[in-house]
Amino acid sequence: MHVNSWREIKQEGLGRTGIVFIILVVAMGILAPLLTSYQPSGYAGPVFSPPSPRHWLGTNDVGQDIWTHLLYGARTSLAVGCGVGLLSTMLSIVAGGTAALCGGLYDRILMRLVDALIIIPPVIVVILAAAYLRPNTMLLVVLLSALLWPGGARVVRAQTLSLQEKMSVSAARTFGASRRHLLFRHIVPDLGPVLVAIAIQDIRRAVFMEAGLSFLGVSDPSLISWGKMMQQALQFIYLDAWKWWLLPTGLSLAVTVSGFTFVGFALETSLNPRLRREVKHAAS
Amino acid sequence: MLKRRKRVWKLLGCLLVLAVFVLVTAGCGEKGVKEPEGGTSTYTIADPTGDWGFPSPYAHYARGPGYVRMSFIFDTLVWKDAGGYIPALAVSWEYLKDEDAYLFRLRKDVTWHDGQKFTAGDVAFTVNYTKKHPYQWVDTGVVKGVEALDEYTVKMYMEKPYAPFLELVGGTLPVLPEHIWKDVQEPRQFQQKEALTGPGPYKLVDYNKEQGTYLYEANEQYYQGTPGIKQLKFIKVGGEVSAAALRQKQAGVAQIPPEMARELEKEGFKCLESSHDWVAKMVINHQKAPLDSQEFRQALAYAVDRQALVDTCLRGYGLAGSPGLLPPDNAWYNPRLDGQYSYDPGKSAELLAGLGYVKKNSYFEKDGRTLELELLVSGSGSTTQGAPGEREGEFIKGQLEQAGIKINLRSLEAKTLDNRVLENKFDLALSGHGGLGGDPENLNKAIIAKGFNSARYEQSEELNNLLKQQLAEMDQEKRRELVSRVQELYAREMPTLPLYYPNWYYAHNGQVNLFFTMQGIASGVPLPFNKMAFVR
Repeated sequence: MHVNSWREIKQEGLGRTGIVFIILVVAMGILAPLLTSYQPSGYAGPVFSPPSPRHWLGTNDVGQDIWTHLLYGARTSLAVGCGVGLLSTMLSIVAGGTAALCGGLYDRILMRLVDALIIIPPVIVVILAAAYLRPNTMLLVVLLSALLWPGGARVVRAQTLSLQEKMSVSAARTFGASRRHLLFRHIVPDLGPVLVAIAIQDIRRAVFMEAGLSFLGVSDPSLISWGKMMQQALQFIYLDAWKWWLLPTGLSLAVTVSGFTFVGFALETSLNPRLRREVKHAAS
Repeated sequence: MLKRRKRVWKLLGCLLVLAVFVLVTAGCGEKGVKEPEGGTSTYTIADPTGDWGFPSPYAHYARGPGYVRMSFIFDTLVWKDAGGYIPALAVSWEYLKDEDAYLFRLRKDVTWHDGQKFTAGDVAFTVNYTKKHPYQWVDTGVVKGVEALDEYTVKMYMEKPYAPFLELVGGTLPVLPEHIWKDVQEPRQFQQKEALTGPGPYKLVDYNKEQGTYLYEANEQYYQGTPGIKQLKFIKVGGEVSAAALRQKQAGVAQIPPEMARELEKEGFKCLESSHDWVAKMVINHQKAPLDSQEFRQALAYAVDRQALVDTCLRGYGLAGSPGLLPPDNAWYNPRLDGQYSYDPGKSAELLAGLGYVKKNSYFEKDGRTLELELLVSGSGSTTQGAPGEREGEFIKGQLEQAGIKINLRSLEAKTLDNRVLENKFDLALSGHGGLGGDPENLNKAIIAKGFNSARYEQSEELNNLLKQQLAEMDQEKRRELVSRVQELYAREMPTLPLYYPNWYYAHNGQVNLFFTMQGIASGVPLPFNKMAFVR
């Protein structure tokens, strides 16, 4: 499992494209206050102004600068994506790792729980939860993580089962290492590339779901999100505004999701020996 | 091997036949509305919602568009056009002050769609039937007794003087044929073809609930004249594509977004602007501290710049809310309310200070607690043009926070929001309703009735009494004074804050001379689809 993820991604053409996309979006989010002189909630100019040097992407139906919204929307997407990626991967490690190490009834119960959770469509659960709780970024991250971890847990469990047969793990166990020590000192470091792949997969899904939920109106109303921008833009589809309102927003979302997909794809190629180019070459 | 291949071909052949069959039948299903044969002129009305229920008096949805669909089939004793009351089933009517009764003389040439003659017996039956099975729009409990003096004269005695009698019992209650309804025990469930036997200008040919389409054909024997339009269709078309539907001739009339009005007019369409009968309100939970204080509610009203709200969120297409609820272009508007509660954050701060609040940093505080309220808004889904949503919520939040009141904005699905309001589980909420253009009885509906569209405000005895008095006042001028006073008290008590009245535009191709009815169709439906436009 000693794979250098970074080198693998760099070597793949798609991976490189993905990294460029992600850097672009991250830069948009982080540098937002430097790239615009307007506040996202401020009413910056006349409504539906076309693009101009003052408003690069024009203004929306209440006179807010669309470029500013696009920049701050990147923050929301990335915050939710990274939050979910981190939290759900951690849940996957704990659930999958302990299930493999403890085994027995605990393993069976946990895996059946995973089976049950994996078939629940996360979007519907979040819509239901939003009716009773006040939706905000934190709650969205927690809810999505709670629904996305089972997929990763299965992969982690399978990898842990094979890793714990390694000599080094057996040796550590012989010296009386606790399960926690085994998991975090011996197994997790070796799981590195797999975890990166799981996290990227979760980020991609979370970014997309956040946009979808905002589009449906299930989000904090004061939060700026690409999904909500698209929903608002669609209401004025009969005007020219969609060209500088709907298109750039859709494009930004597509670039973000594509970025994570490409990187995930490149990683998968590097992790799965059967997909490696060298192997294909050797086989042919 | 050969046998096996043959079997595969046979199987593929069967699948192909099945696929063709499925495609053909699916195509039939998609056609939706059945076209009657031989129709000449067809008129299509586009509607963003589509389904408004089976158009019988008891099965249509209790909203304006549902009533309008029913009104094409059923007639009332009197009707209204752009100028006021006109005869319908009754040729003339008279209020007999001494007896506190209304006398209606009926037309003698009316027949039901099934050919039976219409008589005074049907009118008497309708009143008695609706007493037993209440009709959703009219309370016939106000009628003490009904008497058919002869075959074509009816006298109705009132329980007590009731000002909106002519508009509601005379002009809104659809008259039912006795020979069909006399044995119906469950009128809501009665959805057979016979349930749609009326005397009206149109007969229903097809109703598709799933697709939200209605198809009517003209009643050639209509007693007021043969309808000019032979086929009338209602179809479902989303608000944002309504202009495109007009241009592509898929619809003859549609409500259009305000920005499109001028453009469509240039292209030769005729545009109608409706009066401001729909109000967007900030509903206030006056049962709960600190909102139970009249001064506090007034402070809220001073803190919201309603004109700026219209200019920003409605892009100027609307009228700023009048604190007395009725819009300035309403016939019953009290001009003494002009300019009341104009935007004044200083006055708002003064009122809050008077209630013991102290401003620390950005927000007011009392007993060490920040003044904080939750504002509910509807996330999405409303098809009403100009209905308040997240945009308006954000704007009001900004203004109230500037005035020192911390606001937590919460977006909910529209029906969940209505329920929260009904159960009083809220602080502030953005909502709205129509019907302002009808008889001032709508003030009673909006202030003391029990639904979620009502403020349900009974704390002021003076206001309660005035509302009851105006209903019983038969003298128009005296009633006007009472209604004016109601508006003044409403503005003082501020049970809800009227925010704005959106402009509504309809564009049509000119095939039918559409118009807006005085005080709305029946008891105030602000739609330009008066059946008389299709008859003349």
